[in-house]
Amino acid sequence: MAYLVTFHWGWLLASGLLGLAMGWVAVVHRGRGVSKRTSRWLAALAAALVAAALARVIPGRPGYWLDLGLVMFAIYLFGCAAGSWLRDWVLARNAKAA
Amino acid sequence: MHGIFRWSGKWWPGTVPLVVFWAIAAWTSTAPLESDLAARSTAALKDTVLDKTRIEVAGRDVTLAADAFSEDGRRSAVASVETVPGVRLVNDETRLVPEAKPFVWSAERDVARVTLGGSSPLPASKGKLLEAARAALGGVEVVDQMNLARGAPPRFDNAALLLLDQIGKLKDGKITISDTNISLSGMAHDLGGREAIAAALKNLPEGFSVAANEIKAPPYVFQAYKDPVASTVTLTGYVPDNNVHAAIAAAAGRKFFSEKVVDNLKASVGAPSGFAGAVVPALGALSRLSTGTLVVADREAKLSGDALYDAAVAQIRASLAKDFPPSWQVKADISVKPAAAPVDPTVCQQLFSDLLAKGKIRFESGRASIDPDSAGLLDRLIEIAMRCPTADIEIAGHTDSDGEDAFNQALSEKRAQAVADYLVKAGLPANRFTATGYGSSQPVASNDTDEGKAQNRRIDFLVR
Repeated sequence: MAYLVTFHWGWLLASGLLGLAMGWVAVVHRGRGVSKRTSRWLAALAAALVAAALARVIPGRPGYWLDLGLVMFAIYLFGCAAGSWLRDWVLARNAKAA
Repeated sequence: MHGIFRWSGKWWPGTVPLVVFWAIAAWTSTAPLESDLAARSTAALKDTVLDKTRIEVAGRDVTLAADAFSEDGRRSAVASVETVPGVRLVNDETRLVPEAKPFVWSAERDVARVTLGGSSPLPASKGKLLEAARAALGGVEVVDQMNLARGAPPRFDNAALLLLDQIGKLKDGKITISDTNISLSGMAHDLGGREAIAAALKNLPEGFSVAANEIKAPPYVFQAYKDPVASTVTLTGYVPDNNVHAAIAAAAGRKFFSEKVVDNLKASVGAPSGFAGAVVPALGALSRLSTGTLVVADREAKLSGDALYDAAVAQIRASLAKDFPPSWQVKADISVKPAAAPVDPTVCQQLFSDLLAKGKIRFESGRASIDPDSAGLLDRLIEIAMRCPTADIEIAGHTDSDGEDAFNQALSEKRAQAVADYLVKAGLPANRFTATGYGSSQPVASNDTDEGKAQNRRIDFLVR
């Protein structure tokens, strides 16, 4: 993991920033979100992929691509969470001030 | 915290560019990542002794194929690749180098090259052996046909290096190590090479033994060539040591009284036993030939040439058979020189005088037995006597003044008679010769010095 981070820090930073931006926008976004049912399926899929990566069942290059994808996705999610929380905090402070 | 779940439903649009990022990252980073991991894995194996190492990287998975020289070495090689940062899995395709039983190594030399074959325990020792072979055989091509194998006996490298030193002493041949048994065959380069190799084999590392040493020495050759035109005798080849050299040179000087002895002999070990005992009589036989060659190789002597008259051939053969050491072989291929043209008795006298001025008939001290060293001179005297068949010849014996007159008189008579008998034995008619003794009554030099006495002790041939 440490090796992936040092080797791909540029791409991981990009994923994190993308997540931060998406999280920032998501708080005030009015479009439709993903339904609960779909999100459960997506969560199960993600869990299955993580399990596959940890068990190292996918060999060679696809295995590496899966690892890379999951690391980027995890950092994206972390960025989203941070962005959303930050936006929410900013909104809440403004509302108090008003 | 509750908000996170609410908001997360709206995070999905970002996954579209994320997938694009991911695709680009995977596309551009796979090859550099693989080559980086391959380099790190190779570096991790730097201190591990392996053969035929092959590292293939697919993604973060490393396939390691190699021949290891021990189970520990094999495991540690896999472990060191596994600990390389970034490596996810190691596909272990390593195996142990096959074990050779028996463990055989060989070095074979022919005229143009040296071939190293069989098994070598480690790549490092293989390199060391090749380097040693090149150093020991400066300029000779070294061909490497060695495999790597396990199962070498302890101290194999030392034994092989010692044997490689010996291969330089061979003209051709083969040295083999089979487990701890060493066998050698072939021909040594120089005389003494066989002995030098045998001496070196005493320093073999502990545990090794010589199973067979069939190194042959090159033939021990001694040659003598008598050239009547240049009036020289050329000695070439080997003698065992300086003492034998001096003895042979002295014998040649006595036997070849009128020829110049050209001595090109070299001292070398490896002479067959009885060397001097065979060479000296063979030189005596050569001295009786008008032209001839003597070749002594190991225990075989070949004499060829022309004797001066018929009876001499049988005499030479008989004396060789008698004087040669047992276990030696002698081949005499002797023909007879065509008889020289007859001459006047006065010419005969001149020829006798000239010849006796160059050399004297020698006798054992105080006795009338002719020294065998004088056989060559007597043959020439006989040849001259045959050229003037009508001349009667007086054989005159003289002594120096030492001792009593009566003894000297008797000795001079006996010696003259001994020479006359020798000539008759050679086939000349007895009635042509009269043997007379003069004792010390007719000195040709002063009897006061040893030199003068030596001149006075003589046999003269006088044509009547």
